Amino acid sequence: MELLIELGAFLVLLVVGLVFGRASERRHFRDIERREALLRDVLVFTERRPPPDGEFRDAALVVGSVVIAEDYFKRIAAALRGLFGGRVSVYESLMDRGRREAVLRMKEEARRRGATLVFNVRFETASLSEDSSGRSPMFSAEFLAYGTALVPR
Amino acid sequence: MSYENPDVPHAVNVARGSPVAEFLRLVAALLAVLLLCGAVLYLGGEHLARHVPFALEQRWVGDRVLGFEALVQRDADAGPEVEGYLQRLSDGLSATMRLPAGMHVRVHYADAGVPNAFATLGGHVVVTRGLLERMPSENALAMVLAHEIGHVRARDPIAALGGGASLALLLAAAGDDAGRLAPQVATLIQRGHSRVAERRADEAALEALERFYGHAGGAAEVFRRLARESPFDSRLPSMLATHPSDDERIARLEAAAEGWDATRQPLRPLALPSGGPRRPPSTAGRRGDP
Repeated sequence: MELLIELGAFLVLLVVGLVFGRASERRHFRDIERREALLRDVLVFTERRPPPDGEFRDAALVVGSVVIAEDYFKRIAAALRGLFGGRVSVYESLMDRGRREAVLRMKEEARRRGATLVFNVRFETASLSEDSSGRSPMFSAEFLAYGTALVPR
Repeated sequence: MSYENPDVPHAVNVARGSPVAEFLRLVAALLAVLLLCGAVLYLGGEHLARHVPFALEQRWVGDRVLGFEALVQRDADAGPEVEGYLQRLSDGLSATMRLPAGMHVRVHYADAGVPNAFATLGGHVVVTRGLLERMPSENALAMVLAHEIGHVRARDPIAALGGGASLALLLAAAGDDAGRLAPQVATLIQRGHSRVAERRADEAALEALERFYGHAGGAAEVFRRLARESPFDSRLPSMLATHPSDDERIARLEAAAEGWDATRQPLRPLALPSGGPRRPPSTAGRRGDP
């Protein structure tokens, strides 16, 4: 009986994670694609030096950061994947969302400053899940993108 | 020098397949692996347990009849007489069954209305009043006894214990939660596997009946009678049932009794002390008595 209750709770969590997690992921991807189209004219580069022939009025550090948490379904699916090996596709999409959202937020800040180019763009990713006990409660990660925004004259 | 950004490719990091389908595939693979491990362990435990010397099994168990208490209190009144008769019949059958040296089967009589008979650890066999009351002849009763003696000879009770124990060990090692699953998993595996043991015990019993009475007549009657009043659906597919389905079993027993002439070789009546299993006067309120 106790076992059944635990199993039931597990299944409920799994379904909740699956339904809400997938809905929010789908919504997020739609939003990302829409904003990527809107911000296409803000160009980003990993090149360290600005173009030598360009003339710029201003340069500033722009930062975009986002924290994304997994859902219960992703957590279990990833644990299962960890037994067999292979692509952890449930996390691949999460990481992809995080990186693209961070770039978008950075671009939005660049546009507020009137910039059209962001140079020397770098990524940082930090996992927020680890604690000292070694048991990770829930996986979430911060995605940080930063670069030098150049405002044309 | 001109600069531009390409579109962000969407399909690089976002897998196209459904995550649910992938999840279900992984779960199925995990369950298959676990079930295979469980089956290997169970069968290994069974195999090893059969090699425990019978003398050692008897020393562990002694006079305790495991599983007996769960059924009913031992019947002190009618016990000795009925038990004596059952024991004599069992000894006669045992003599024809070539038991290994040192193996001796002891029969106990339980005052319970449920028709049941089982063999348990240490060579103990339990027969209930309910079963005895439903036996049409001594031949039928001998079929049941010889079937249980067949289990003892094949070491089936200790094999089941060994299989269950090794499975429980694995699950306990796997974790607290998994340990509680052990009985369920053990029954699941045992259910499929014990059909083989049941069939073997039936074959051993038929052989004993042939030697003891000169024919296997009356054996099928046991299951025909019990099937009629069985509370369970006897038409369950054999894969699900512990015992071979009644129809299939009756057919096999009837085939074994082919060539038996009922007029020349009549069935023997039960030779119980008072013409039948005596109901002790104080049966009211006893457990298992409808």
